[in-house]
Amino acid sequence: MISRYIDLDVRPILRAGGEPFAAILETIDRLAPDEGLRLFATFKPTPLFAVLGAKGFGNEATEMGGGDWQVLFYPAGEASDAPSATPSPDHAEWPAPVREIDGRDLDPPEPMVKILAAAEEMQSGEVLAGLLGREPVFLFPELAKRGHAWRGGFDPDGTTYRVLVRVGRQGHEQ
Amino acid sequence: MTGVSLSRWTMSYFAAALAALLAAEVLMLLGFSFPSASVEAPETLVLVHLVALGWLSLLLCGALFQFVPVLVAKPLHDNRLPFATLCCLLAGLALLLCGFLQLNGSSGSDWPLLPAGGSLLAVGFALVLYNLGRTLWAGRPLPLPARFVVAGLCSVAAAASLGVIFTYVLAGFATAAPLTALTASGLPLHIAAGIGGWLTFTAMGVSYRLLAMFMLSPEEKRGTSLAAFWGGVGVLVLAVGGGGAAILMNGDPAPILAAAAVLMVPVLAVYGWDVAWLYNRRKRRRLETNSLMAAPALASLAMGAALLLALLALGQLPRFAGAVIYLLAFGWLSGLGLSQLYKIVAFVTWLECYGPVLGRMPTPRVQDLVVEGRARTWFYLYFGTVWLGTIALLFDQELAFRWLALVLLLATGGLIVEFVRTRRLADIDLALRGENAPRRPRLLYALVAQH
Repeated sequence: MISRYIDLDVRPILRAGGEPFAAILETIDRLAPDEGLRLFATFKPTPLFAVLGAKGFGNEATEMGGGDWQVLFYPAGEASDAPSATPSPDHAEWPAPVREIDGRDLDPPEPMVKILAAAEEMQSGEVLAGLLGREPVFLFPELAKRGHAWRGGFDPDGTTYRVLVRVGRQGHEQ
Repeated sequence: MTGVSLSRWTMSYFAAALAALLAAEVLMLLGFSFPSASVEAPETLVLVHLVALGWLSLLLCGALFQFVPVLVAKPLHDNRLPFATLCCLLAGLALLLCGFLQLNGSSGSDWPLLPAGGSLLAVGFALVLYNLGRTLWAGRPLPLPARFVVAGLCSVAAAASLGVIFTYVLAGFATAAPLTALTASGLPLHIAAGIGGWLTFTAMGVSYRLLAMFMLSPEEKRGTSLAAFWGGVGVLVLAVGGGGAAILMNGDPAPILAAAAVLMVPVLAVYGWDVAWLYNRRKRRRLETNSLMAAPALASLAMGAALLLALLALGQLPRFAGAVIYLLAFGWLSGLGLSQLYKIVAFVTWLECYGPVLGRMPTPRVQDLVVEGRARTWFYLYFGTVWLGTIALLFDQELAFRWLALVLLLATGGLIVEFVRTRRLADIDLALRGENAPRRPRLLYALVAQH
């Protein structure tokens, strides 16, 4: 089971006319056995499929629009689909958030309560943005149960966690 | 980013741990062991292991099964294994305690209970190490509090290994010279690895995160925290590794252990500095009971370290070691444990009951599950009694100590009643609970999906 995908965006390197091959191999070499690589490129990197295939990686390429591609590389023999409580691998553009919640100064678990309550009031497909003081590890299983998708990550300074929640079909329970 | 679910068996660990704490306090009240018996008496070994393994280790294991996944943002490797682990640890402890009673001839049987108990405990701790180790491994690179946990887990491996060696040598099963040498002189190493490395160092690491989380203090990477970590690792390696090497080379471990005790001072000072910084920089001005009551526990650690050094300087440590261990075990470790249990039980219960319906119906807040005023009274009584008990031990007032044990039992019992009331949602306003509200959770385990 793949427990997570490591993101590598080589689009800036390609746009600058650079060669991202070394960076890709370096990331692949650093993967734990249960990790995959999520690569973002400005074209479908077909030559890479054979190279990484020889290293035992399967792949799944999706066009993202604007000519950009997302490719999931995972150890062969593993299913590429991530476990149920992982963020949506769908990287199509999400609409701009219609609600924002700043939970950085709230006591845990208040931010989680506010986000789940707000999601209940929103329409399917709408996006909510949250700012949090830490990774909301107890929120994710609740989002998954309710059929919401999410993306998240720390700001570079490591103090603010930004989460985007895209509301799933109302009443949907997985 | 996979999220963390509730640890199914954490409440069972807490319940078993609290039962062991009550049993230990009853033994102190009855004058079964120290200070009525000597520090080395089998009865004292029963009490010490009931506290260190039955109460503190089970408490810490139960808490880590829930908290390590939070620290590394990865699910627990195996959410079913902790039950088998608990069975091993409890059975091992029961056999070990009976084995100690064999030593003074009060148990008629001549079964090898000590090695059997030691082996079962070793299996139990190996399962803890495996489960938490796999969880931590998946969470690399590790944040600093998780590295403290790793050092703590290495220490429990050392403490358990030494303990198993002791039981085999005492039962006459092992006669190799290095093992008998370790048994003859290795008790301070066993204590340093167990109380210092496993219980204290792990609690320090966990406290960094818990205090920051519940007081809304900044979680910055700080050089002082890193210094506390590496300094602590150095002290532990010196005490346990260096002391062990000295014994195996037929040397005297005492100077090495004394050096480790002195080097421990700057480590604890830096840790104290960090904790004071967390309290000062908190955004939450009004402290909740769990953070407020962590303070006397931290003060007990400081006092325990000061007392240890003072007694060492005066050459009185062997005579009063019991008072130091009592202050550290009941003031620092138990005090911190009880203060954090107060919050963890409420939070875990709240998440189990109300998590599924959050946002869909009015739900109580976590703090609605507890009655802070009542719990604080018990906490004040608890810490006051522990400090008076330490003074009683320093002045050889055995009878006073036993009366204080009765008060301690009362305070602990009061806190346990509060924990059970929280778990049973007994203090939730009925109107808030509502007709469609989730039913009460099970007292001893959490109903969570297995994965």
